[in-house]
Amino acid sequence: MAEFPKILSANWDVENSHTLDVYESRGGYGAMRKALTSGGMSPDEVRELVKDSGLRGRGGAGFPTGVKWGFVPDTDKKKYLLVNADESEPGTFKDRYIMDFDPHMMIEGSILSSYAINANDCFIYIRGEYGWLVDRVQEAVDEAYAKGYLGKDILGSGYDLEMIVHKGAGAYICGEETGLINSLEGRKGQPRIKPPFPAVVGFLDCPTIVNNVETVAAVPWIVNNGADAYKAIGTEKSTGTKLWSVSGPVKRPGNYEVPMGLPMKELIYGEDYCQGMLDGVELKACIPGGSSVPVLTAEETLACNIDYESFAEHGTMLGSGGCIVIGDDASMPELLKVVLQFYHHESCGQCTPCREGTGWLDMILDRMLRGEGRPKDLELLDRIGNNMMGTTICVLADAAVMPAQSFVKKFRDEFEALLPEMEEPEEYIPTTSAAEMPR
Amino acid sequence: MAKITIDGVEHEFEEGKNLFEACAEANGEKLPHFCYHPGLSIAGVCRMCQVEIEGVPKLVIACNAAVRDGMVVNTKTPRVRSTVQNILNFHLLHHPVDCPVCDQAGECSLQDFYMDHGLYDAEIDIDDKIDKGKVKPIGDLVMLDAERCVLCARCTRFTSEITKTHELGIFNRGNHSEIDVAPGKTLDNNYSLNTVDICPVGALTSRDFRFRKRVWWLDVTDSVCPGCATGCNMTIDHNEGTAYRFKPRENPEVNDYWMCDHGRLLYKRIVTDARLEHPTVGVGERREQSWWERAYRRVLELAESRTLVFAGSPHATLEELYALGRLAEAVDGRWLGARLSGTETGEGDDILFSADRTPNAEGIRRLGAGEFTVEQLREAATQENVLVVLENDLAGLAAEDSVLDGFAAVVTIATDGTATSDRAEVVLPTLKYAEKLGTFVNKDGRAQALNAAFPGPAEARDTIRIVRDLGEVFGHTFAWADTAGVRGEIASTVEGFGAISGGIGPQGVALDAGSVQPTPSGGEEAQA
Repeated sequence: MAEFPKILSANWDVENSHTLDVYESRGGYGAMRKALTSGGMSPDEVRELVKDSGLRGRGGAGFPTGVKWGFVPDTDKKKYLLVNADESEPGTFKDRYIMDFDPHMMIEGSILSSYAINANDCFIYIRGEYGWLVDRVQEAVDEAYAKGYLGKDILGSGYDLEMIVHKGAGAYICGEETGLINSLEGRKGQPRIKPPFPAVVGFLDCPTIVNNVETVAAVPWIVNNGADAYKAIGTEKSTGTKLWSVSGPVKRPGNYEVPMGLPMKELIYGEDYCQGMLDGVELKACIPGGSSVPVLTAEETLACNIDYESFAEHGTMLGSGGCIVIGDDASMPELLKVVLQFYHHESCGQCTPCREGTGWLDMILDRMLRGEGRPKDLELLDRIGNNMMGTTICVLADAAVMPAQSFVKKFRDEFEALLPEMEEPEEYIPTTSAAEMPR
Repeated sequence: MAKITIDGVEHEFEEGKNLFEACAEANGEKLPHFCYHPGLSIAGVCRMCQVEIEGVPKLVIACNAAVRDGMVVNTKTPRVRSTVQNILNFHLLHHPVDCPVCDQAGECSLQDFYMDHGLYDAEIDIDDKIDKGKVKPIGDLVMLDAERCVLCARCTRFTSEITKTHELGIFNRGNHSEIDVAPGKTLDNNYSLNTVDICPVGALTSRDFRFRKRVWWLDVTDSVCPGCATGCNMTIDHNEGTAYRFKPRENPEVNDYWMCDHGRLLYKRIVTDARLEHPTVGVGERREQSWWERAYRRVLELAESRTLVFAGSPHATLEELYALGRLAEAVDGRWLGARLSGTETGEGDDILFSADRTPNAEGIRRLGAGEFTVEQLREAATQENVLVVLENDLAGLAAEDSVLDGFAAVVTIATDGTATSDRAEVVLPTLKYAEKLGTFVNKDGRAQALNAAFPGPAEARDTIRIVRDLGEVFGHTFAWADTAGVRGEIASTVEGFGAISGGIGPQGVALDAGSVQPTPSGGEEAQA
């Protein structure tokens, strides 16, 4: 694999990398100066640059960031940037590294992103379980304010930006952008029906862009180095680098910044990355992009590259980059149970198919694992899944169905082993004939 | 206008019109739904109204879609039907099968849609159903059976958007989600029973109506609430001469889809112990049950060498007030007025409930029938005068029992025994609003029609008939014989009432603004 510049993780190993001094000593806030000081860049120029770079949303959906910014209408209404730090997709632990080791990169990226959409207010929505990160990010925001990088008239540019760090209460669904908006407004964290889309009617009914931490963190580098430099990394449709959180029985689990297009084989077995499976464990399967994407068999895993197209080709998704490696010592039904229990617990309960379906899937798998499964349970699981897919406001239902259906499809023998043999139904023999019935 | 094809038939609707409403108009029936309600915001959670729009890969919920020119919508394809069927299955998954003891049975969306789209066996065991509790009183009038709830969020939207009282919420998540009252609150606002109406299933039931009547036995008659000057459109749901409940009837000009609890519970005042069922003659110990001709003759006797003084009522219909006014003219009587000033008011709100608690005050104003004060009443109370009072407990309203004592006699056309009827020499029993035809004019000048749901007591007579009969007794024949006749005469002779000449439909008719008659022989004159 060719050498590539570290964009997101360059400062992680530096001592006190979370402080403003260290960040600036390594060129930090240079992109902001470049864009905001006189003769710098207009908001439209920043947006076009990011659009041109091919940067795609790193929260899971992979929607082109610059295009999303372009949906913000040119109105007199206030505009908001909400940075989604509600990282809660099981298997994903990348944003926390950025916030822990390089919070200023996220802040600088947020300033540039806010500037690009003409927002003067930016919220960082951090999941409740990341309590210590709220403090860390808040400290960094305070430092930036003290230095005049936030607040009124940043660097004399005339551009104002207020940044507020908000701590969520710990619900998976608040990572869905409209759920996040509801939560931030003080409502129950439940996704909103679309249309209208948040870019038009979002936070406090104003145009709102919700971007993932990793997405905004890539913006300073793009502003500094240009779109072409970013596009030079990765593949045609998947540009730049991606943080890849690897968990499971590999020798070196952890966060890796990988160039898009890196073969999964290289990631799992490469010297620079995970260095192979633990001794005595063979690769059985892999969930590449967080627990909600379809699982891959070992063979499929090794045939995939880390880019949007390659995963799509193999029927799964790049998602958030929460890569869960599964060894041959793991039971797929038990693993699926953990996944389904999670979605059952986290369904907000608004839409009927998801509210009832996630619980029903969990219930069926639960009885199978207790040895009380019924002959047609696998068909039932599949049918419930089909009826949940695509019928709800947000994609939480799909997120539960995709692992459920792919686990059963690809590892059917493990599930069938839990079920009783199919039996012919007993013939019904009435014990009392009609003539003998009491009158 | 936008051309749109629904199930193969082309229709024209306004661009941007709600697609659910468009489909309902096009097909003459609503798509299956639980959460959609035209009076509330769009929740989009029940997922039942999904339709196929050509060119859109996923099915779309019609309630959150808008009509666009050239749209091709299919609501009955196998894909739509199977989706709806399967979503209904999710709704029914944990629903208890207690229809035999559920008050909603017979008017339950879940039952209806199951018959249309379901018809499959239960897919989970009864022991696996989630128990969310039963029979929880959440207010004076509303009972919650959370296990029947399909979480359509209509009731929570009602309390947050219409009453803005926020008593109800959905608590918990996932399939443990549950409707309940917020901690420390009870559902006790004056509109609480609307949540029962809009609940598509039996989760919220009326504690007042519960277990009193199976809904399929109820006959439904369109009427107007007599509880205040707003005149909410309603239905009287009744069986064998007894009203069991009032329900709001949609009218965007008056009450939208709602009605207050105060008005709803007035059905209890139709059948009363105090109901006057026979004409009587005599006061106190001399009172005896009589027959109509004798009662009429007694009025004639009383009028000999005395003046009849007439008082109407804001509870009487437009036709009754007009007819009584004509009678007053015919017998050379005096018209006192139709309302005792300053009575029957209370606190209103800015939703529906009016401070004026009478249904026809505006009718009085527009007829020019006038008001009178207690002083005027007292001055009129002389031995030369006989008071004829229609449906009004003047003694009770004046809070002065002796105010009527000065009259030589009192004649009352009334429905219930009151302090006034106790003092009446002649009592002529008449019909209540649920038993007769008539018109009320609400505070916004909208004429709205009453219909007879059931007959009154066998011997009670319609006021119009009583007035006509009295006219005959006094040697005067009126041109009209019934309510419709009186209404026709009002329309053609009284300025400002032309709008009702073509009849009054179920939604009422707006009268011309500012068509107020000068008081013909009203209060001032009586004083003079």
